[in-house]
Amino acid sequence: MTEKSILELRNITRTFPGVTALDDVSASFRAGEIHAIIGENGAGKSTMMNILAGELSPDSGTLHVNGRETTIGSPRQSQALGIRIVFQELSLCQNLTVGENVLLGPMAAQPALSHLNRNSAVRAATDVLARLGMSDVRADTPLAGLSVAQKQLVEIARAISQQVHILVLDEPNSALSKRETQRLFDMVRSLKEEGVTILYVSHHLDEVLALADRISVMRDGKLITTLDNGPDVTVDKLVTLMVGRSVNAAEQYALQCEVSDHPAETALEVRDLSVPGHIRHATFKLSKGEILGIAGLPDSGKDVLAEAIFGLLPRGGEVEIGGIRLSPGKPYHSIAAGMSLIPADRRSAGALLSMSVAENTVSAALKKFTRLGFMRGGAVKDIANRYVRELDARVASLGQKIATLSGGNQQKIILARGLITGPRVLILHEPTRGIDVGAKAEIYAILKSLAADGMAIMMISSELPEVMLHSSRVLVMADKIVMGQLTGAQITEEAIMSLATRSDQERAA
Amino acid sequence: MTENPTAASGPGETRPSPQKTWSDPPRVSLIRRLLSAKETGVFLALVVMCVFLSMSTESFLSTTNLLNVGRQVSLLGIMAIGMTFVLISGEIDLSVGSTYALAGLSTGMLIVLGWGLVPALAMGLACGAAIGLINGLLSTYGRLPSLIATLGMLSIVRGSALLLTDGRPVTVNVRNGADPAILDRFEYMGQGYLFGIIPMQLVFFIVLAILGWLLLSRTAFGFRVFAVGGSEKAARVSGIHVPTVKIWSFVIMGILAAAAGILSLAFLPSGQAGRTGLGLELDVIAAVVVGGASLAGGLGTILGTVFGVLIIGVLRNGLVLLGVSPFTQEVMIGLVIIVAVAIDKWSSTRRST
Repeated sequence: MTEKSILELRNITRTFPGVTALDDVSASFRAGEIHAIIGENGAGKSTMMNILAGELSPDSGTLHVNGRETTIGSPRQSQALGIRIVFQELSLCQNLTVGENVLLGPMAAQPALSHLNRNSAVRAATDVLARLGMSDVRADTPLAGLSVAQKQLVEIARAISQQVHILVLDEPNSALSKRETQRLFDMVRSLKEEGVTILYVSHHLDEVLALADRISVMRDGKLITTLDNGPDVTVDKLVTLMVGRSVNAAEQYALQCEVSDHPAETALEVRDLSVPGHIRHATFKLSKGEILGIAGLPDSGKDVLAEAIFGLLPRGGEVEIGGIRLSPGKPYHSIAAGMSLIPADRRSAGALLSMSVAENTVSAALKKFTRLGFMRGGAVKDIANRYVRELDARVASLGQKIATLSGGNQQKIILARGLITGPRVLILHEPTRGIDVGAKAEIYAILKSLAADGMAIMMISSELPEVMLHSSRVLVMADKIVMGQLTGAQITEEAIMSLATRSDQERAA
Repeated sequence: MTENPTAASGPGETRPSPQKTWSDPPRVSLIRRLLSAKETGVFLALVVMCVFLSMSTESFLSTTNLLNVGRQVSLLGIMAIGMTFVLISGEIDLSVGSTYALAGLSTGMLIVLGWGLVPALAMGLACGAAIGLINGLLSTYGRLPSLIATLGMLSIVRGSALLLTDGRPVTVNVRNGADPAILDRFEYMGQGYLFGIIPMQLVFFIVLAILGWLLLSRTAFGFRVFAVGGSEKAARVSGIHVPTVKIWSFVIMGILAAAAGILSLAFLPSGQAGRTGLGLELDVIAAVVVGGASLAGGLGTILGTVFGVLIIGVLRNGLVLLGVSPFTQEVMIGLVIIVAVAIDKWSSTRRST
């Protein structure tokens, strides 16, 4: 290695019962580089991060920081080495203020009985927030009032508030808008100028190509290769390395929906839907066999649309499914009428984390699988088996806890749960967030075949390619209203973005 | 304060320099700040009760009665301060009633055995600290939920007190062998008056409440307690050693439970392992929760806890003054706990939307 490495992993192996999460991984990270780490879910990225964070220790192998062998036995040691990790799952204190969260480390590191100077903390936190372009958020307000995107930025602000040598970012922009993402990238580049090493974990390969100096690809617990980023590195090449077989991006995206010829029968009708503060007077129809994409920036209102239609949020206006008017505030009514919701937040709203694959699968339709209140084990097993097979979910057994599955497989089980009630209308909110490329393609294929069987599918997503390539029609939300509709060849990134960035007044004008 | 007009600008006005707003928090009017404070709900409830009682009874508002209420709530209050730390850190301690008994009785026995006051007190407090330490270790490194760990300790500690005293009452008096000079000082702690008017128990409560408030809201340790209760993961990622923070919270709780137990024996001055402090843990938790602390951790203040304790105390006192039967009193107190927490929950959901 010609350049000096600030952090080196040598022959790191870490096993969990039944899995080798990291298999003899050696990697070296240079001072002041942006080093992307990519790989499908379950490739070992998060185990590697947890080892750097001091949350896990390797079974064998050594870590070298600045050329010296080091052990990272606790998060505190990791911090002391100047390593900061921003996990994808937010870890913030909802009970504290924004500023206290930003400066959690230094404020808590003082001697136990020393006096806390909150005013100077607010000032220091304000500076850090300003660096991330968050001047509109006051450091002394409670964190609980912030949006998910703002919280994600607070988490990043916390990581850069102190002296940092190695910054690890795990999907740092999953909730951010384009503009916020751009600002984040600017910040990452300026940290690099300051000599900070950045490990950037992401599924967004185009971002990786735009940002990284070098790219390491992981697969099945092994580090496959480390590439120097350059013109010859392409998304296709990275995907091939990640999945270990050649997947043509064009072929993968060729699962695009054809617009059906026969006159469509309306499955879901939404009239004048309003959610105070989020949506005003949304009116649209969803037809049988169609995949309707809903695009929009964060805060456009699209993120409450699913819950409003499903009846989880108080709403005004009417929602009809096959001529049946649904009452707001009664999700069970919606399910009975033939609607299924796959929520965005897998961990908190989607999966019953402590329960098994089979239990999760049948949880939405318990009545079908009970007799006199007792679970019919055989029937549960049969149906769970069927869906696991049909959706090609990779599980060790039906009794496996869903929490131990990879994101993609969790999503398939949640999809199975949504399908088990036999819905006519399927609403998916961020259907592939945090899921690897392979599993994404599989989920799109499932959706397409469901639509071909006549299911009406509504897909609300922040990922433009997903909406563009897999919907036959796209509604764009902006400024709390449905700003416009695009079909067929109209669906382009430019068209969507131009609608999404418009405000209500501009439309009127 | 100078007469500089810009210094007196209200919250709605913009200042010339944008940085100024940060270095100098805007002056929100005192009334607005008081209304938005976390303790306002409990405080208003307390005020309403006091106004009602002073109008409907003759004796409520007298200095003697108010100081009497203060004395009656002191021991509960001292324990509630410790419980505030434990609840905010995201744990619970059910063993405090037993600790109260064991620490009080063992201090009493040592004084009867002829020990000096300071060593006897130190032993009692150390006993409480040790129980807190065990609770803390079981709930962190032992990976037991504190509900279970301290439920077990509730029994173990109560049983230890029974074994220690052989189930017989402990009475601290000269006849049983206590040194008269030491007994005098011991009893002064529980029965005496500062300046001839303020009950010593109340003095202890006030002093400990101030110390607890300083520790919780003004020091780095207090901040760590909130951080741990808010999100253990965030705390860990920020380099906080979570077990240490929790263990210390339990130790503080143990010491304060012991202190309350010792003061109780100094007041009475007799106790019995089978009865002293029985069920007290639930009163303590109720007072803290009424004061706005969350059983889920992360929320709570010492001021809120003090108000919660006073609500329970004033309610008991008021019901006695109104001549309500003790049986009805219990029902009323239960209702107040439920209503107080419900109001807090409902108003906080309204605030967050």
